[in-house]
Amino acid sequence: MNVFSFLRSLISKKIKPGPPQLNNRAAAKKPDNQDDPVLEKRLELIKARLGESSDIIIREICSSQDKVKLAVLFIDGLVDKKAVSDNIIQPLLSSTIVNDYAEKLNQENAFALIQKHIVSFAEVSTAPNLTQAIKMVLAGDTALFIDGYERVLIFGTRSWEKRAVGEPETEAAVRGPREGFTETLRINTSLLRRRIQHENLRFETMKAGRRTGTSINLAYIKDIVNPHTLEEVRRRIAAIDIDGILESGYIEELIEDAPLSIFPQIEHTERVDKAAAAVLEGRILIMTDNTPFALIVPTTFFQFLAASEDYYERPYIAFALRILRLFVLNIALFLPATYVAVVTFHQEMLPTQLLLSIAAAREGIPFPAVLEALLMETTFEVLREAGVRLPKTVGQAVSIVGGLVIGDAAIRAGLVSPAMVIIVAATAISNFAIPAFNATIALRLLRFPLIILGAVMGLYGVIFGLILILIHLAGLQSFGVPYLSPLVHGSVSDMAKILVRSPWWAQIYRPKMLALQQRRRQATNQWLRNKTGSERELTHETMGDKDARKW
Amino acid sequence: MLENGRISSRQIATLLFMAMISTSILFVPAFTVDKLGSDAWIALLLGTFLGLLTLLIANWLGQQHPQKTIFQYSQTILGSFFGKILAFMYVWNFLRVVAVVVREFGEFMTTAFMPNTPIFVFIASLLLLAALAAIAGIEVLARTSEFIILLVATSLVAIVILSLGNWELNQLLPMFTSDLLSILKTAATIEVWKADAILAAMLIPFMIRPQKALVAGAKATLAAGILITIGVIGALAIFGPYLLPSFRFPIHMYTRTINIGRILTRFEALLMVIWVAGVFVKTSVYLYFASLGLAQAAGLKEYKFLVLPLGVICATWSISLFENVAALEAMISNPYPESLLMYLGVPLFLMLITIIRNFLSGQQWRQKQP
Repeated sequence: MNVFSFLRSLISKKIKPGPPQLNNRAAAKKPDNQDDPVLEKRLELIKARLGESSDIIIREICSSQDKVKLAVLFIDGLVDKKAVSDNIIQPLLSSTIVNDYAEKLNQENAFALIQKHIVSFAEVSTAPNLTQAIKMVLAGDTALFIDGYERVLIFGTRSWEKRAVGEPETEAAVRGPREGFTETLRINTSLLRRRIQHENLRFETMKAGRRTGTSINLAYIKDIVNPHTLEEVRRRIAAIDIDGILESGYIEELIEDAPLSIFPQIEHTERVDKAAAAVLEGRILIMTDNTPFALIVPTTFFQFLAASEDYYERPYIAFALRILRLFVLNIALFLPATYVAVVTFHQEMLPTQLLLSIAAAREGIPFPAVLEALLMETTFEVLREAGVRLPKTVGQAVSIVGGLVIGDAAIRAGLVSPAMVIIVAATAISNFAIPAFNATIALRLLRFPLIILGAVMGLYGVIFGLILILIHLAGLQSFGVPYLSPLVHGSVSDMAKILVRSPWWAQIYRPKMLALQQRRRQATNQWLRNKTGSERELTHETMGDKDARKW
Repeated sequence: MLENGRISSRQIATLLFMAMISTSILFVPAFTVDKLGSDAWIALLLGTFLGLLTLLIANWLGQQHPQKTIFQYSQTILGSFFGKILAFMYVWNFLRVVAVVVREFGEFMTTAFMPNTPIFVFIASLLLLAALAAIAGIEVLARTSEFIILLVATSLVAIVILSLGNWELNQLLPMFTSDLLSILKTAATIEVWKADAILAAMLIPFMIRPQKALVAGAKATLAAGILITIGVIGALAIFGPYLLPSFRFPIHMYTRTINIGRILTRFEALLMVIWVAGVFVKTSVYLYFASLGLAQAAGLKEYKFLVLPLGVICATWSISLFENVAALEAMISNPYPESLLMYLGVPLFLMLITIIRNFLSGQQWRQKQP
């Protein structure tokens, strides 16, 4: 193996079929031979395994004149206590069991009878052994142990304090639904299910995280999604072996194709409508418990330039905005580097008037352009970093210091030229104009090496950097889809979609690059149908406005 | 296979187009006009059609030997020994193309943009980029070129449109003053410039649908030819047949004449983008196929570790190949006869042998795949 293939092997992630997850391994190591169907021993075992934590509650019940011994196990704070006492414990208490069953209930039929006839709780399942049961209890379910049975009855009593569904703060929109995902997975799935009421919408739950046992939900529409992509997503998530997952960012880094790349290869969203649109388009949504950010795969680069609002307003403005964003993307990445290159090497390329004013502004500046640029860019990044995490009241002070002292005073003191301040400001604003925050991070970081390249080799250096970035981007893939598609490797209609948000009646097909099971998404000629469908044309007159003629 | 990548027919067209246009747009106008005066564009059009010849033969061979590059089927046709010799000849030739192209590139950059920078900086940095792309494989190369072609095509069209105001079409007169023979001679030279079509002989086996190669390649050849012809006509219309050959890089001067309202001016930067990006594609494609060909001919299992050493060889070769720009220009305007041999003669020879062999063994020619 030579150096390059070694480096490449670092960059391109190769997932080998990972070792079995610890959850299973633990189960294998601690076989349930310790487990004992006898209730008293079992309860001791539970106490040994769960310890003396104050939130663990075991309630023992004797049912049917002590014929059957039962115990309920749940965790305080994770369950709906009222439901547990009203619907599980109360029906089981000897005094309240309806007479028929009280007589019938005995050691032999206890399990089936309790499950089917006595307990009045909606969501009931069975766990095969104690280990499984404890896992479910830790997730917020309630377990009912019956003396003599290894199987355990599990009731889905999960209910805890949750944040209400609120507006997505990171992806604000003027028009569009105000609901955003919350930290609770079940609420998130319900939000999605409410938007896509189709039998083929599937939620597939997987668990990851040895300690956190975080639930991960794959959401997709079964008859649209590409089965190979889905299989790959499943495989990569199943291969995750980590102690904890606290945010979908963990998963993002663990499953993306090129973990060392500077570019994000998986899009995340807080907006339910955006997530639903992605699912409808045949992508796969990866929802993680305890975070409002859902991941969308496969992701291509140009997705980061689209905002969900593009699809709600008139198509023309979306077209204009996308051109603007593409322009802004180039500004954010190349403007300072180009400026440095031109001022340092290619002064003759500027129109004479412009050159004169820039030269006049740079008169008396002690630094070369590259130092000036690096200085100002760094200052800006510092200001921005200082402002992000401050309370709003203090934040104002930072902006005053930044705007006045750094901007104005630095120019008056003759440390930097006004032109450079304009360049840095334009770059900064451009960076903010790109909808996806994670995509702009890459631009922010790449700006600095580009400035240095521009200072060393002029415009050629900038182009050198561009081609370097291009080679990298062209080599990236996101779950089998080339990262730069549809610009490369796409059909012409896909390519047009980078810039053009066609009207809804014209979006007849889903993107070809995703290789979906069904490309067709709607009927053709819906627009014409509006014109010709009715028997007579609807005009002011035919609407029944009697005064129409008089106008 | 050494390479598992697959490319589409659009990508093969892009690669061929980029390879054909990137160097010729800069060098062809000067020497054609030098030879033919205002009739240069006729030779260019003719040469473009001649260029299709190479493509036709390369395509025919590629269809006859599916899933094989010219380095491999030369061994099927000529036997292992002679086939390998031929493959090595092609590798040598490709390395030479790389060396010449990067030298041209370095000369242009030092002459037109950065006269104080040593030429080796440009040669080394470009070869580094090309090597990175070649190591990344054919798919990355194809995708990169698909992106770059947008850049190049839009810039070229922009340059032509913006310069329209300066055109004086009567500079193209008198027409048809050159004799047919010299036109044909120049056209044959142009054919060598269009001989990048030989790349099809290596690209076809990587295509998803190889049967589309001919149409895609022809489109690319014609588009490149027409674009260069327009460029030459434009340069002629601006400078006239007497001033133009005195420039080393007429297109560069041509771009400098653009001046619209004193704001839209100085488009050399755009030209540099075209030039760097285009030359990058061409260099990386040739470097890639030189490495792949060497690996295939030598029976290696991996081509990637060959890329960097070959790149270094090309870098030093490009310096030692020509003493100065004058020698480079002389070579460019009178292309070495072995190029014609390699790009037209040898493929034709391989084709003839295949036909004769098929005829002798009584086999039908392999039908094109449906």
